[in-house]
Amino acid sequence: MGWRGMLALFLVGLITSGLAGAAAYFLPVVVAAYAQTGQARTSTPLPLISASSAPAAPAAGSAFNVLLMGSDDDTKFKNGVYLTQSMILVRINPATRHVTMMSIPRDLYAPWSTGGYGKIDEVHQYGDAASVATVERDFNVSVDEWAWVGLAGLIKLIDLMGGVDLATGNPVLDDFYPADVGNANPYSYKRVAVLPGPQHLDGAHALEYVRSRHGDIQEDFGRSQRQQQVLLALRPKARNINAADLPSIVASFNGEFKTSFNLTDLGRLRSLISLASQISDPSQIEQIVLVPPYTGTDVIGGADVVTPNWNLIRQLVQAKFT
Amino acid sequence: MRHPRWTGGRALAILLMAAVWIGSGIAVYLYFGAHRTTLADQARKPTDVRLKEGPISHLPGTVYLVQGGSLYRLQRGSFTPVLKAPGGASVWTQPAFKPDGQGLVVVRRDYGSSDLYSVDSAGRETPLTHNASRAVEANHWAFYPHLSPDGGSIFFSYDRKDPANAYNVVLSVYSMPAAGTFSQAKKWTVPVSYTGGDVQPIPLPSGSVIYTKYSFDNKTNKILSQIYLTPRAGAPGKPLTAIEDDCSQPAVSPDGQRLAMICTGGKQFASVEVAHFDGGNVGPAQVLVSGQLAAQPTWSPDGASIVYFAPQGLNGHFQLWQISTPAPAPPAAAAPVPSPARGSQTAKPTPTPTPTPTPSPTPPPQPVRLTSALDFDATSTIAWHA
Repeated sequence: MGWRGMLALFLVGLITSGLAGAAAYFLPVVVAAYAQTGQARTSTPLPLISASSAPAAPAAGSAFNVLLMGSDDDTKFKNGVYLTQSMILVRINPATRHVTMMSIPRDLYAPWSTGGYGKIDEVHQYGDAASVATVERDFNVSVDEWAWVGLAGLIKLIDLMGGVDLATGNPVLDDFYPADVGNANPYSYKRVAVLPGPQHLDGAHALEYVRSRHGDIQEDFGRSQRQQQVLLALRPKARNINAADLPSIVASFNGEFKTSFNLTDLGRLRSLISLASQISDPSQIEQIVLVPPYTGTDVIGGADVVTPNWNLIRQLVQAKFT
Repeated sequence: MRHPRWTGGRALAILLMAAVWIGSGIAVYLYFGAHRTTLADQARKPTDVRLKEGPISHLPGTVYLVQGGSLYRLQRGSFTPVLKAPGGASVWTQPAFKPDGQGLVVVRRDYGSSDLYSVDSAGRETPLTHNASRAVEANHWAFYPHLSPDGGSIFFSYDRKDPANAYNVVLSVYSMPAAGTFSQAKKWTVPVSYTGGDVQPIPLPSGSVIYTKYSFDNKTNKILSQIYLTPRAGAPGKPLTAIEDDCSQPAVSPDGQRLAMICTGGKQFASVEVAHFDGGNVGPAQVLVSGQLAAQPTWSPDGASIVYFAPQGLNGHFQLWQISTPAPAPPAAAAPVPSPARGSQTAKPTPTPTPTPTPSPTPPPQPVRLTSALDFDATSTIAWHA
């Protein structure tokens, strides 16, 4: 081998070793991408249910809907069967730089895509796609993508982002807050007091703020408002994230995150992050909570439920999410 | 057929190349690792910073602040630890000066309960309440202590248990003798259930008490705050601000004629506002600071400025800021005073034909950041004494 050959060998080796270094760095991302992303967008409906067909991916740059789901996934729940304590439908319009968020009450009494009726949070026992299909059918809306996160994952994500600065609205006091994260007894409870006013919250305290509901005059609706508030407070942090952060973000989730976004959606993810940095005017973000007259309350089968006024809700969804 | 001759030089070259390849792989790995975003700046301890040259060194008197559960004293730009964080879930927070300046009342917050402590000038602590219990739901909270002007009473927020519904955990304003026990405590306010209640009491020389009341606003479907005034224990309070303004954290100026407060309008911005206060009514408010998450406005002993907490950039946590205050405005307007959209450094017009202050031709004062890289507890009051 001559010196030219040696030089070529050196350069090829240099490029290969550099790529190997990058591959080693991003290996956790690739593994997680394989395991946690690219999940099915909707389930296969039962024959008796005429659910909408799986939506085609919208064109790049066009508005799209994402269903965000959060679950209490401690050891109370076996075999990965979780309820969705939080469901937020988000419409993102990159062209107009407008975001609309609508919280779906977890106790909403609704027909399930899998058949029958029940609280909408319980349909998640049949999987993420069953929840997505239920929302699509009941709300007559196309869900383009979805993401699910467990409680521990949310804590880790907020901590990884350095916590969150926000103005908490009122004292959030709860004598029966579930002490089920990192606790051997998932049925134990504790007292929490999130004091009002601007402050910095770490992941654990942010979770207390968005999860507590016993002491809120609006119960789950008040909690939904707080969940949207923390999501929006995290938004400015997204501006700082770059590709080198992905392994630590993936490590922080550690199985606490799933999404229908896949690696081919990187362009849309990038536009999402870009949009987050471009939205500075609060009027660009619309927050909706389905309080009366969109919903009412009732007791069905001995359980307190939130009853939907589908006519009003679907009109609202038609106007805001299509 | 020629066979390559593996001379010593070539072997050495291969070895060198292999070393460079390994090194480049590691370098690329480290490059990405080094380019991770710093999503949270590391906060320093106040005692680790030297601020003697900055504007903070010109703050008169003594300021007490809390960082990381520890209480610090700030004098002439220098921080001194007063109470070290007890450890675990326990923290010190919300210091309040005794009127004679000889000591403080401080909250010690533990896992599921909090108590008031008297702390003397030597840093010795004595519990004033005993709210901890083995039964989780039998614990109590005590927050926001404030001494009466004569030093005889401590006003604070306390969560009396609701016998009808254990879920209704709500704070009321209480008072107890400064030299007495909690058994002598008196309930001052009746909070709105399931709202968080009544907090941040400030006793006035007249015997009245200003406080923050939370209640549900049907228009916005939110729980919002108002500054209230009640003349005596058990009397119905009267709102001093409009509910849509969402004002809280009242602070009365040393001359008693101005009220500083934090107002959000139910949004994610918290303005520092100052209004004339005649002891019973609040005039139109002037926005001193807007567009920030400002918290805990606290008057200087001479009433010439206000310090408050606000974040330093995206990752910088809450720092101490200072802003000069305008001269007291003439008395005007009855409360409550609804306001238009927030966010400008202008006086809010009143809905009544009462005259509004003439806008000053001088430029509005600009806030000055006094600290950096510190992470103060923004839910803790600031105590500032001459």
